[in-house]
Amino acid sequence: MESAALLRQQIIASLMARQPDNVADVAMDLWEKLADDIISIVGEAGFNSLYERSVHLAQPAFPWLPPCPSPPQPPHRFAELKARLADQTPAHACAANSLLLTTFTDILASLIGEQLTASILRSAWGNLASATADKEPENE
Amino acid sequence: MSSNDKGDVSSSGTGDQADASSDHAERVRVARGSDRRRQDRAACADARTLRGREQMAAAREDVAHQREDAAGQRENVVQAREGEAHVREGRATTREDEIRTLETLQSATADQMIRLQQANANLVVATIEARKLAEQVQTAKTELDHLVHHDVLTGLPNRILLHDRLDQAIALARRSGKQLAVLFMDLDRFKHINDSLGHGVGDQLLQSVGQRLLACVRQSDTISRLGGDEFVALLPEIDHPEDAALSAQKMIAAIALPHHIEQHDLHIGASIGISIYPEDGPDAETLIKHADTAMFHAKDNGRNTYAFFEQEMTARAIARQSIEASLRLALERQEFVLHYQPKINLHSGTIVGIEALVRWQHPQRGLLEPAQFVPIAEDSGLILRIGRWVLREACRQAQAWQDAGLPPITIAVNTSALEFRAKDFLVNLRGILEETRLQPRYLELELTESVLMRDASATDSVLHALSALGIQLAVDDFGTGYSSLSYLRQFPINTLKIDRSFVNNMTRNANDASLVSAVISMGKSLKQRVIAEGVETAEQVAFLLGQHCDEGQGFFFGHPMVADALTPLLRSGASPTAYPH
Repeated sequence: MESAALLRQQIIASLMARQPDNVADVAMDLWEKLADDIISIVGEAGFNSLYERSVHLAQPAFPWLPPCPSPPQPPHRFAELKARLADQTPAHACAANSLLLTTFTDILASLIGEQLTASILRSAWGNLASATADKEPENE
Repeated sequence: MSSNDKGDVSSSGTGDQADASSDHAERVRVARGSDRRRQDRAACADARTLRGREQMAAAREDVAHQREDAAGQRENVVQAREGEAHVREGRATTREDEIRTLETLQSATADQMIRLQQANANLVVATIEARKLAEQVQTAKTELDHLVHHDVLTGLPNRILLHDRLDQAIALARRSGKQLAVLFMDLDRFKHINDSLGHGVGDQLLQSVGQRLLACVRQSDTISRLGGDEFVALLPEIDHPEDAALSAQKMIAAIALPHHIEQHDLHIGASIGISIYPEDGPDAETLIKHADTAMFHAKDNGRNTYAFFEQEMTARAIARQSIEASLRLALERQEFVLHYQPKINLHSGTIVGIEALVRWQHPQRGLLEPAQFVPIAEDSGLILRIGRWVLREACRQAQAWQDAGLPPITIAVNTSALEFRAKDFLVNLRGILEETRLQPRYLELELTESVLMRDASATDSVLHALSALGIQLAVDDFGTGYSSLSYLRQFPINTLKIDRSFVNNMTRNANDASLVSAVISMGKSLKQRVIAEGVETAEQVAFLLGQHCDEGQGFFFGHPMVADALTPLLRSGASPTAYPH
């Protein structure tokens, strides 16, 4: 379980580091793809609840993170997050969004299991997240 | 051959004669032969015909059979086609059913998917909410635990946690054969700040002190607040008692630096008592108690200092407890007495007023000064009863002098914060004035700056009520507290009494001289009387006169004395001591 979480964390960090000078856009890409998949399973309310909880847990480290997706409908779901990320230094923004995504996926995995989480991430992020499944531990 | 054919042949032989008969016979023979041949031929023909017919019949039968077969085959084919058609119809029906089922299923799945998504959403939200709730419960539990073990105001460990840590430190010191120190700290004159500037400022000062103390110690040390202005430091790792002394000095120095709170630069001192394990006690309670005792000793030694516990101090602490116990009986036993000190007009040398001062005629310890029991009376709340007695006795005596024919004179009585804030203060005061028949204008209440400045609006209303009664009001120990000049102007104050500490030094210290001079000028500007307290020398009198101070009080003019001793002086109206004027 811990190794899967660690791997997920590494993958997120790796994805976030793709374009160091364009952290906000990379973050938006990951969030929007993830939101599409998650919302198809748990609905808007479920996604918002997960997101809000993730922000709550990440805020002690990054107090400037916006409290919840606002407005909750696409395409502006993460507009505030993007604006806040853009205000930070790339390294700080990258660290914040990595923590937020890691927290989000950790909560998701704790609710539905590592395997299903990995499957959703593969579906959302395509090949980018395939390493998760490839290296997924046998026992959750 | 038919029967008709035979008749025709016989009829032709009988009709023609011989020739005719032979012709006839020939012909008959020929005919018969022809007939025979014909008959043969006919027979042959018949046979052939029959055969032909038979053959034809057979052929027809064959054809019929063939037709029947063909019909049968056709029927079979039809049946087969019908069967196939049935099968195909069945397939079509099945397919249609399947399509309908699929359509139904697809419709049902879409609904189910929506319901499933909603169910998932609800489950996620419920789970997250449950986690939040669990977190809140855990946080509340942690906060509750923190509250139980920490002081709410400063966030420092409280008495419970201190005891816990001290018990552990003692156990550790016992095993390792080392020493530890307990430092009991009490802020000097904190009450003045609290009373004059209010609890809000007092609380912030306590927080500031707590932070300063934390900055003075190591991570392994504990700074705790027991309540009020009492702090206790636990130093669990000391090599020598001197280490504790160094820490105490450091703390005193840190606290002495000004505390900037709400535009005030507050100065405060601290007295610290130190007890050492194992020398001064085997357990937490004893060590804290002995450090507390040593702290009182430090206060007695002039405050803003520290003192190590010594066994002899216990006797003094016990004496303090004894005083508190006997104070409760002193009123019933009528052990309090009033002494009176005159206030002198510096220009004329005449007595212009009297201050009533309480003394305790202790059955074993003799005559005790207020400093020896008033703080204890204030701590225990007995000051209210004592204060009422003093007020009644002073008014009674002042009226008694008038009744004895002496000229009316104003009598001043000190009023403590507790008395002044008591809800029934004004009611009691009116009752006493009525009971003793003393006119209010001959009573002066002396209040310290701290009493006046705390809760200025409430103070203002009480002061104006007193003033409306005709009672005079004086600010005692002026200069030692934190007076707001605007309030001094607003309050109906009649008199400022310059604190003795400034008067004592004014002829030697330029700063004190300036302050005394400033207070006199200010008093005159505000049209208030100014009295110098603690006047002990002619030089001081001369200085005060030079500054145009009108009145003075102190040993130079006369010690406090019993009523009987003062009576002749009041009768003459002159100061008991001759002085240059």
